[in-house]
Amino acid sequence: MEDVLTELPPPSRFFLEELNNFTPPAPPVPSPFILLSNPTSKTPLQPSLFIIAISAPSLYLLHHVSPKTLIGTFILPEVPSSGNSVEPSLKDKSCNLYNISHGGKSVIVANFQYSVSSERSHAIAKTLIGQQIIPERVLILDSVQSRNFRGRISTDDTFAMKLETSVERKGIPLLKKLNYFPSGSVVEGLGAALLGRCQMKNIKATLCVSWPESGGSVTSIVKDLLLKDVLSDMEVKIDADGEAEGLKFGHTNHYLDSELYT
Amino acid sequence: MEFNLEAGKHLYDECSTLILPALSIGNVGQLAVDLLVASTKAERVGYLDDPNVVPCVGNDAYTPTPQGDLALPLEAYESPSSALTLIQQRSPVVKGMMIEFAKNLADFAVASGKKHIIILSSLDFGRWQTVDMSSGLQIYYLSNTNVDGSDEKCEKLGWKKMKEYDPNQKLWKYLSTLAEGNVTQDDTSPFEDDLGEEDYYPSLPFAAMFSCFKAKGLKVTCLLCYCSEGDNIPDAFHLAEAACNLAGLTPDTFKGSEGGWVIPFSWQSVYGPPPDMSLF
Repeated sequence: MEDVLTELPPPSRFFLEELNNFTPPAPPVPSPFILLSNPTSKTPLQPSLFIIAISAPSLYLLHHVSPKTLIGTFILPEVPSSGNSVEPSLKDKSCNLYNISHGGKSVIVANFQYSVSSERSHAIAKTLIGQQIIPERVLILDSVQSRNFRGRISTDDTFAMKLETSVERKGIPLLKKLNYFPSGSVVEGLGAALLGRCQMKNIKATLCVSWPESGGSVTSIVKDLLLKDVLSDMEVKIDADGEAEGLKFGHTNHYLDSELYT
Repeated sequence: MEFNLEAGKHLYDECSTLILPALSIGNVGQLAVDLLVASTKAERVGYLDDPNVVPCVGNDAYTPTPQGDLALPLEAYESPSSALTLIQQRSPVVKGMMIEFAKNLADFAVASGKKHIIILSSLDFGRWQTVDMSSGLQIYYLSNTNVDGSDEKCEKLGWKKMKEYDPNQKLWKYLSTLAEGNVTQDDTSPFEDDLGEEDYYPSLPFAAMFSCFKAKGLKVTCLLCYCSEGDNIPDAFHLAEAACNLAGLTPDTFKGSEGGWVIPFSWQSVYGPPPDMSLF
């Protein structure tokens, strides 16, 4: 049971320093940037679809998609890369960029294998979309944040929902069978920043939030969405057993996720 | 801060009064703006993109059967029939960036031709120094009409000027100089002495916004009510009604089912789901 004295306030309430005009700002940090494997690549890159994986199930599945080509990485300067392996690994704290091509269609995938603060999300979204990468359509795969969900939710439930930009809603949606995220609940962080950026830039985009945050059943749902709706015409396969391995991946290990261990 | 106009929409010249919330205890200003947007049937005209606001997204907060229309952190609504522009803010400001954010808002207000700014905020009931049992749900105000913060129209409406406002007090003066761009926030000289009770009010977001709008030469009125954390919906009604009085509107004309007011759809779950009755 949480300690009522020290537990975090509910998300609609403020910490005192959030309401203080004179709280000093955080020290400035260098801007994030995209590093392409081939520096002579023609930019901006203009994929027909840009998939950004944030949730554990999507990271796991897109890591196992083939065929795909590593084309670069997204660098957040404050995230140390020490301890990352030479070949892409799910254990790395990295955000690799991959290209999947088929029949003239190009899909770029970004696998965000580190967590980012909400305060940093705006800068990341601005760098990722609309500068070196100008996609026709964006799909963001994130998780429901239970602290921001105003309905009844339990780890026994498994579902996925969506939010879309106005221009995505005007046409045939990418994810046809999902219900909309209910009014009154919100999504914050990187997924929200990315969808917001797409809305302002008039880009077709969908934010798919799944629940629970990890596990075999939710991984199966996301795998289904990827193979049947998103990548159905791309001749790809996902070399992963959604039920068994997805169950193992994504559970937070507080010790191994610490920056002390590299 | 960038203003992104929605496709097919434009700003109305006649909407010269801007109402917006200041982040405060109980989110009362934000709840009041929700009520005003829903009740005036204001239409969204655009989004404000500011790096100092924490990103968030959600489904439409107002329509009874939401169809997936996105809600973003900072949105501008207009109601030409009420001559009002309303800005709703749905997420916090990045720590330490409140003054920068307030300056950006003031720049937007000037660029879009606003004449009168009404800031809605609550104050912590625990800080209420003088318990006035006759005043009930008293509305307090702060205006730049007069140097001492007073305004005749607000007095006639029965409101009390916030007596803790002293333009010569060190933090109020410091805010003014920050708002005018005459000093950077690195200057720590106002904080050399221990902070006292009188330093609480100028430290609040409404004070930063008041100072920044004032620095731009705009007429600005802050409407304030004391409250505690809890069910702050009644406080929101109270503050929204005060805003209507100042703007010359009457809630009866809104034609909603709650004394004219229209309850936003998203309020159905504002305090989470109802208790699980299967326990009983």
